[in-house]
Amino acid sequence: MAEKPKILILATLSGGYAGANSVGQLRKDYPTNTYILPVLCPCLFPEDFYLRAFERGIDGILVMYSGTDSPYKGGPERAAEIINRVYPMMKERGIDTRRLRLVAICTVCTGPFLKEVNEMNDLLQELGPVRRERSSTATPQPQTVQSRE
Amino acid sequence: MPETSEIRRQKDSQSNPQGEEIRIGVYTCHCGGNISDVVRCEKVAKVLSEMPNVVVSRTHMAMCSDAGQAMVEEDIRERGVNRVVIGACAPSLHEQTFRRTVARAGLNPYLYYHVCLREQDSWVSGGDCEGATEKAIRLMAAGIAKARHLKALDPIRLDAKQRALVIGGGVAGLRSAWDIARRGIQVTLIEKSPFLGGRMAQLETTFPAGETARELLHDLIERVLAHPNVTVHTRAELVGVRGYVGDFHVQIRRQSRGVSDDFAQAQAEAAIAACPVEVPDEFNYGLTTRKAIYRAYPGCTPATPAIDWENCTLCGKCLQVNGQGIDLENKPETFEINVGAVVVATGFRPYEPRQGEYGYGEFPEVVTLPQLIRLLALAGESEGLEWNGHPVRNIAMIHCVGSRQIEGIHEPQPDGQVNDYCSRVCCTATLHLANELRGRFPNVNVFDVYQDIRTYGRGHEDYYTQASANMVRFLRFHAEEPPEVVPAPDGDSCPVLVKIKDYLTWGEEIEVPVDLVVLAVGIMPRPIDDLIKMLKISPGTDRFLLEVHPKLRPVETAVPGIVLAGTAQGPMNIQESCAAASAAAAKVAVLLGQGLVELEPFVARVDPERCRGSGQCVEVCCYEDAISLQTFSVNGREVQRAVVTPANCTGCGACVSACPNRAIDVQGWTLEQYEAMVDAIAADLPASEVGV
Repeated sequence: MAEKPKILILATLSGGYAGANSVGQLRKDYPTNTYILPVLCPCLFPEDFYLRAFERGIDGILVMYSGTDSPYKGGPERAAEIINRVYPMMKERGIDTRRLRLVAICTVCTGPFLKEVNEMNDLLQELGPVRRERSSTATPQPQTVQSRE
Repeated sequence: MPETSEIRRQKDSQSNPQGEEIRIGVYTCHCGGNISDVVRCEKVAKVLSEMPNVVVSRTHMAMCSDAGQAMVEEDIRERGVNRVVIGACAPSLHEQTFRRTVARAGLNPYLYYHVCLREQDSWVSGGDCEGATEKAIRLMAAGIAKARHLKALDPIRLDAKQRALVIGGGVAGLRSAWDIARRGIQVTLIEKSPFLGGRMAQLETTFPAGETARELLHDLIERVLAHPNVTVHTRAELVGVRGYVGDFHVQIRRQSRGVSDDFAQAQAEAAIAACPVEVPDEFNYGLTTRKAIYRAYPGCTPATPAIDWENCTLCGKCLQVNGQGIDLENKPETFEINVGAVVVATGFRPYEPRQGEYGYGEFPEVVTLPQLIRLLALAGESEGLEWNGHPVRNIAMIHCVGSRQIEGIHEPQPDGQVNDYCSRVCCTATLHLANELRGRFPNVNVFDVYQDIRTYGRGHEDYYTQASANMVRFLRFHAEEPPEVVPAPDGDSCPVLVKIKDYLTWGEEIEVPVDLVVLAVGIMPRPIDDLIKMLKISPGTDRFLLEVHPKLRPVETAVPGIVLAGTAQGPMNIQESCAAASAAAAKVAVLLGQGLVELEPFVARVDPERCRGSGQCVEVCCYEDAISLQTFSVNGREVQRAVVTPANCTGCGACVSACPNRAIDVQGWTLEQYEAMVDAIAADLPASEVGV
């Protein structure tokens, strides 16, 4: 059986995480290869957090933040800035930038939640494992990824 | 100037002793089959039992039960478990429960991590047992990975302001205010309209006891206004909020009333009579008109009339009667108060049928149930019932208008949704009115056109029995085949016909000629989007405000210190609204009564040994005085180091991503913990477990 792509969902407690719970209450199915981690605000994650996750074998990352509904002043804007800086770094490493998406999901945004998850899953089926992309690049730079450790 | 070593000592005193062996207890909940029908819990427990640091891995039918919690406590006491991971329902339901469980056994409550295996796994994985089980293993493994890095934390304790804000001056808001005030806590009640009482003031007799709504209401209003702990502001609304539980700073904007409180009754009547403006009277749902200087109804509170600033033409006719006490300039004022808790009692609005729905807006003979209540009140003691200048002899009352709607059959609301919920109160209200009609006007025939009769409360079924005995004729339709209201043919004695496929007569198609069609409209939440955003509270999929848990925390919102009262939360009758309001008041009293509130300790924390004083954390922080650079002495040398003021930090983590030295983290949500969780999710499962 081919290994399923692993989708990491970083979901804010005030947005995506509660939205995922709403999806659950409605018993709407979506792929099981989705791993939701609760976050207060994604502005906590620096650029290398995402690169490191891809490095470790996470195939796609959905950052489900609260957008303008965020209880954290300036947090959503900062998260967006960081993720915008991650894209060129992904390109440098040969990682398809579509593997990382920042989306606003509210507590009852069940439709958008399912759409994002299913679209990411479809995309990853098409792209294949992230390891293959990384291995196809000339010189992987894990030292950059791990520079904070 | 403190030494950094001193800061380090303070830090260590709150951390776990170095070198402590991590002993993790892992528990996978069946949730009575909710999880175990899809996830193979025993398999999950077995795989987890082989992971490093896991000393106990168990399953239980219901971890939240006394037995489930006792099992965890025993493992902590008897087996030296010092970290606990439980996979169960959503953390919003039982994270606090399990934190208390571990605390009872003597463990710091923050050495607990909750994994959601129900809403985010078993309930969304269809029949994919294999996939759901693998997902559960990875999610639990991530929880275990986080648990290895958990540190003991202490909640932040702050003084709680001994004042509550109640938003809404209807029966729920008034009842909450009264109950809170009696507990010795100050209350500020704000009401957007110029008068107190809300929707209840528009009712006449109430079910199930037949009492007069306004008498009950006026008694409550008098008690509230007389209580020394209560301050009431009408024409006031919330325009800003900052702070947190125990210490909210709320900005309130109050419009001028336009008429001073000492304005004499006789003068008021003359001023109202002098006003040339006529606008539809919202109190009577547009059946009558009122002036631009007005009272909601005779005997309303406050008794002083108010100027309707939207419709007043500033013509000055009212001033000519007696200028003293009237000021035709609206001078809104904004002021701030400091409160420890907020009760949201913003109430409901009746469903407004769309143009043409059962002939509404097309035929003057189609009215709503709230309009009929006002119509009967306006009819007074008259012997016959008239509508639109004609005697009414036949009335059809149609249930479920704007409730229990079905996608594809009913037209959606402007937001694209249908009201698929039952509004709960309309069945009894309709039968209550049907009985009143039959009692007051015995010559009027009443046809009750329904899907289902849901007279669910104590004594409510009596209204159905009584209606049957009162010769109210029942006709039953299916939701897929709703009745139609059409004009009657020329020469017919009644103006409209109700056409219905009646399932009480096995689908016979019946035409009922009537003089009046009454639509039993449902309950909808008031449009309070701005308030929802300000308070950061959430509506449910039905747009009513959402509680944390319908049974376990039925009046609390996910925002600590903000509670719900009455129909802002969902359709309720007066009795239920008052019960919810008292529950909300009790929550406020418990919260503020201790004088202290506890906040989650999830705030930024600096590692002074890693901090190099770059100041980037200070630059990105959006909160005043949450983080600053201070001067310390290290080996006799002055250095700058970041220092967090926990009370001002929200834990957003902007400083974490900004720090070039990884010297700052959010307690309880550290980058190290997230990286460990990601590694656990990405890790290959043992070959024997692939294809669980």
